[in-house]
Amino acid sequence: MFGFIYKITRYLSLKNKNMLQNTESDKNNSEPITPDLEKNLEVIKGIFRDSSDVTIHEFNFGHERKFKGALIFIDNLANKEEIHKNILQPLMYGVLLFRNNVDIDFTKIDSIRENLISMTDNSKVSMISDLLDSLLAGSAILLIDGSKEALAIKPGKRESRSIEEPGTEAVVRGPREGFIENVNVNIALLRRKIKDTELCVEKLVIGDKSKTDVYIVYIKSIANPKLIEEIRKRLKRIKIEAILESGYIEQFIEDSPYSIFPTISNSEKPDKVAAKILEGRAAIMVDGTPFVLVVPMMFIESFQSVEDYYARPFFASIIRVIRFLSYIISTLGPAIYVALTVFHQELIPTQLLISIAEGRERVPFPALLEAFLMLFAFDLLREAGVRLPKPVGQTVGIVGALVLGEASVEAGLISPIMVIVVSATAIASFAVPAQTDSGTILRYIYLALAGIAGGFGVIMGLLATLLHLASLRSFGTPYLWPVVPLDLSGLKDVFIRMPLWTMSKRPEAITWDNCDSYSQSPDLMPSAYKKDDNDSK
Amino acid sequence: MSIEKGKISCQQLLFLFAGFIEGSALLIDFTVGITEHQTWMVILAGLIISTPVILSYAVLAKKFPGMNLVQINDMVYGRFLGKIISIYYIFFFSMTLSFNIRDVGELYITFLMQDTPFIFFLIVFTVTCAYAVIKGIEVLTRISHLILVIGLFAVISTFILLIDQMDFSNFLPFFELPFIKIFQGIHIVSMIPFGETVVFLMIMGCLNKSEHAVKNTFFGLLIGAASLLIVAVRNTAVLGKTQTIWTSASFQAIRLINIGTVLTRMDFLIGIALTILMFFKCSIFLYVMVVAVSQLFGLKTYEPLVLPLAAIEVIIAATVFQSPVDHAMITQNAGIIYSAPLVFVIPPLSLLIAKIRGLPKLERGKET
Amino acid sequence: MGKKMNISIIKSILCFFLVFALSGCLGAREINDLEIVIGMGVDKDENAGNILLTAQVVKENAVGGASGNGGGGDDEAYWNVSSKGESIFDAVRQMTHKTGNRLFISHNQAVIFGNDVAKEGLQEYIDFFLRAHEMRPAALILVAEDRASDVLDAKPETEKFPAMNIAKLVKTYGFTSHLYKVNMKDFALWLMSDTTAPLAPLLTIIQNGENKEIYVSGMAAFKNGKMVGKLNHDESRGLLWVLGEVRSGVIIVPSPNETGKAVLEILKAKSKVTPEIKDGKIVMHIKIKEESSLSEQSTTENLADDKAFEKIQKSSAEVIRQEIMAAFDKSREFNADIFGFGEMLHKKYSNEWKTLKDNWDEIYPTIELNIDVESKIIKTDLLKKPAAPKEGEK
Repeated sequence: MFGFIYKITRYLSLKNKNMLQNTESDKNNSEPITPDLEKNLEVIKGIFRDSSDVTIHEFNFGHERKFKGALIFIDNLANKEEIHKNILQPLMYGVLLFRNNVDIDFTKIDSIRENLISMTDNSKVSMISDLLDSLLAGSAILLIDGSKEALAIKPGKRESRSIEEPGTEAVVRGPREGFIENVNVNIALLRRKIKDTELCVEKLVIGDKSKTDVYIVYIKSIANPKLIEEIRKRLKRIKIEAILESGYIEQFIEDSPYSIFPTISNSEKPDKVAAKILEGRAAIMVDGTPFVLVVPMMFIESFQSVEDYYARPFFASIIRVIRFLSYIISTLGPAIYVALTVFHQELIPTQLLISIAEGRERVPFPALLEAFLMLFAFDLLREAGVRLPKPVGQTVGIVGALVLGEASVEAGLISPIMVIVVSATAIASFAVPAQTDSGTILRYIYLALAGIAGGFGVIMGLLATLLHLASLRSFGTPYLWPVVPLDLSGLKDVFIRMPLWTMSKRPEAITWDNCDSYSQSPDLMPSAYKKDDNDSK
Repeated sequence: MSIEKGKISCQQLLFLFAGFIEGSALLIDFTVGITEHQTWMVILAGLIISTPVILSYAVLAKKFPGMNLVQINDMVYGRFLGKIISIYYIFFFSMTLSFNIRDVGELYITFLMQDTPFIFFLIVFTVTCAYAVIKGIEVLTRISHLILVIGLFAVISTFILLIDQMDFSNFLPFFELPFIKIFQGIHIVSMIPFGETVVFLMIMGCLNKSEHAVKNTFFGLLIGAASLLIVAVRNTAVLGKTQTIWTSASFQAIRLINIGTVLTRMDFLIGIALTILMFFKCSIFLYVMVVAVSQLFGLKTYEPLVLPLAAIEVIIAATVFQSPVDHAMITQNAGIIYSAPLVFVIPPLSLLIAKIRGLPKLERGKET
Repeated sequence: MGKKMNISIIKSILCFFLVFALSGCLGAREINDLEIVIGMGVDKDENAGNILLTAQVVKENAVGGASGNGGGGDDEAYWNVSSKGESIFDAVRQMTHKTGNRLFISHNQAVIFGNDVAKEGLQEYIDFFLRAHEMRPAALILVAEDRASDVLDAKPETEKFPAMNIAKLVKTYGFTSHLYKVNMKDFALWLMSDTTAPLAPLLTIIQNGENKEIYVSGMAAFKNGKMVGKLNHDESRGLLWVLGEVRSGVIIVPSPNETGKAVLEILKAKSKVTPEIKDGKIVMHIKIKEESSLSEQSTTENLADDKAFEKIQKSSAEVIRQEIMAAFDKSREFNADIFGFGEMLHKKYSNEWKTLKDNWDEIYPTIELNIDVESKIIKTDLLKKPAAPKEGEK
């Protein structure tokens, strides 16, 4: 009974806290713009009195300078050249080209917009809050004395990186352009790939203080409307102060936050995202980061790379098999080595056992500890390598290799076989980039299980992982589709890559038979040139 | 209202059946001591005898769609008698589950990891099974085809690798043993691998559309029995008369594989396959037991019961027998006696009674 | 989900991990704590009733990194430890008085029984090797002509370990087919039979100046577990002809014109044995098909024509028949069914077998063999004619 009372009091106190938060952010809302220019400027100056980069430029325009206006912008966000050329100049000089008594009311924002401003990206605002939002987003605000509305003009250019090859996803064959931080450029890159009327770009603004633009991009006729509805619902639920990167959004909308495996994929390459959208998925683009989220995700996708589809099937299949094997090596390698040498020595061929024993003669640690140390050292190196300043990079690389490799073995701290095993693990872990984080954790878990319970522990760990993976869903799609709910048509692209002309159906688990399931004609196999009777040669 | 909200498809039923029966591949060693080189005959005969009984399970499930065994018992035999029969079934499930868990522990203690304490295997194994059960029957059925593939791969690959050591004259002479031994062997085979499939009566309530249930059951049964047959043939051909003296003939047969210098020590391959198959089998048993108990007590979900029942099973498995000798003797002699009515008598009887009484009555407003 | 639920979940997770931590590691054996045994020898000790067990253990020379001592230097890479005990398992455990770690016999290549143990009877000692979970049924079983510990001492020239050398000698029996590879499972299978006599290869030591060399001199036959006789090379091959296990070998026959020898290399051999009970007498129909190639000749006559081939084939068939008869006669001498005729009868005439098997000792010497050998020469290697002046020209 006391517990019940306790619960009720806690609930009430929490509710009050929430309400408190809401009122604070309500302060600046719900005030409309008054026709009095001075008053508006007072309000705005009051809000920004501590920021020195907000420029308020008052000017007069019109014949006989009878109209007053003010231009407000933030120094480095708005493009001053454009403001001078396309707003101030027409207003101050171009208006003089009109006759004096022309019957255009220049106190109306609409007339100024239609007749004078030579920029296309503009919108009317009538509330102070919207004005401030646009101002902070980089627009220049035009206030006219006597008008209840203001004009927010978006700048054309914005400083951003040039489009270059993405650092994390290099390819041998394929386009080398990658997304950049400016979301509008990203959408433009996508539109270049999919020139379809059905491509929908829905905008949401998330984040109280960061007001980040988030776009949901999908193809209306292919994607499942329930999926899009679910994404919208989850995105709208996010109440946070700032969205700094798509990773924030990923962690708020994913299906299983406690799972090691990612259920939302991300990518930096427009061709990859375009291909996924065409399969019926939806992309979530966040302003300020080149990493675009794509939902839903399946486990198999971590093993597929865009290059597989540009290369020919036999080679692509072999590379895919190699990727699977390298994932297995990278997670199970040290575990199997420890399990075999500590618990199941009868399974190693005799000669190999003698060699391993000879190598381990001087090592003072048990095999489990040795493996942990080596893995830890490798992870250390990797992390340090990412954070290095460039000039020091080479040195650390050499030192790392020497220390971990030669010197440790010479000093008798590590056995040479362990170095080989851990190096193989390390190299293999980079072959499947989407699963490096899950792979790292799994590696340690399996190693611990192997050190404690040998082969039995590893098998139980594998079974638990399999059960966990089989029960994961990503926005309704089973994570291990098409292997686990067995779907033979989907298997064409899993372990090997069948030729493109056989893969004519869309994956069922994403679209749920919502649309036309054939994305290409089923009989596209190229055939050899047949000699016609009419050909002369 | 049925407790389980998951649904399984008929094709998955096939995989479930086959994977389940393959899990008993170890247990062939029970009959080998009795039937020696005629084990393959005994398996075939057991298959022929069990097939109509098992198909009757499928027909019974088809007749009562969406209802599991406890509910069927309630409907067919009335409340009181039905509950008594369900309690008998629960006893059978829990005993068999503890025997199987103990089997896995003995496998490891005897062959693979001798120094680790016995209870360790029991606890870890049962906890993993409990995890599978908490996830639900849908997850188990989803991975059933993977498990079946692993089992088939192990069986067929070991058969192929041992072909050069096979001596098919070990099967002669046919018909040497006295009929009483053959009969005992058939009894054991139809109880242990095939009879344990009575647990599917609990699971077939979750079928999506039960039109092809009978066909899929039959094929699942065939595939499972085929792999058992392959194992029996392989052991007899490779080991000859010695298969009766080893604790586990399959293991010793695998230890003889010697191809090149690489493929020489493969016994862990079969250890892995057997562990996975037994895990599958024990998870299904645990699931069935937990659902039966919760259905009996009228609970809304079965999740709170999983861990306690699993703990009870571990304790039973750890203490019920003193040694594998005990285990073999009791299952061969007593186990098949108390499970015979449950497997052979009651379901066909239920089917008969249901046909006679015209159940399930459609105008019954009972929620199913 | 209040605080209470969280704590109970944490408690149960803790308990679960304690299970791991407290009990799991007990099965761990670091590699360097193992004494890897690659060969074992069983002899009788001076004290009656005790056995002397010799184990050949691998000695690991520390290899430090890339610049290790090149391959161990002069030291031997193995170490023969011996211990005494009342039974084999007892002796195995007593070995820890000398080695400090338990023996790890999973990699045991061969088990060698000394002469005295073999004569007394292997049935007492074989149980350990079948029952121990570390032993593999594929390990070889051999008998030493004298003492097993001496055999394990003989240092081979081309192999690092004597036990591996012995295993290699036996596994490559196919080159001469003068012996047969017997592993634990085969031996156990024969022991379980009512009538068949188990066999094992026989090892002899030859003193070659300073060194001792191992030499496989034939097979030993057992009856009821006791060694009763030996077969030499030809008799062993005779046995293998009947079992169909001849892989390759050499047959030397006199050349058709009696001027020299023709040497044949056996390429393939098949055998089919059909038992038959005719008027209360047991007849074994043995049909042997053999293919060989002419590998060497010591005369100048041209043997590569049909007539010469026929004569040579007949001679080689005769040699084969003699080898089989020699084996059979020897087995009759010590009355042991080394061919497994009993089991063949069992498989075909299971009803009669029930009465036959009790009197097998009397029946076996009366078995008749009906041997039919077909020998073919299918190639002559690289020479068509011998390197000699043409016949008819001198």
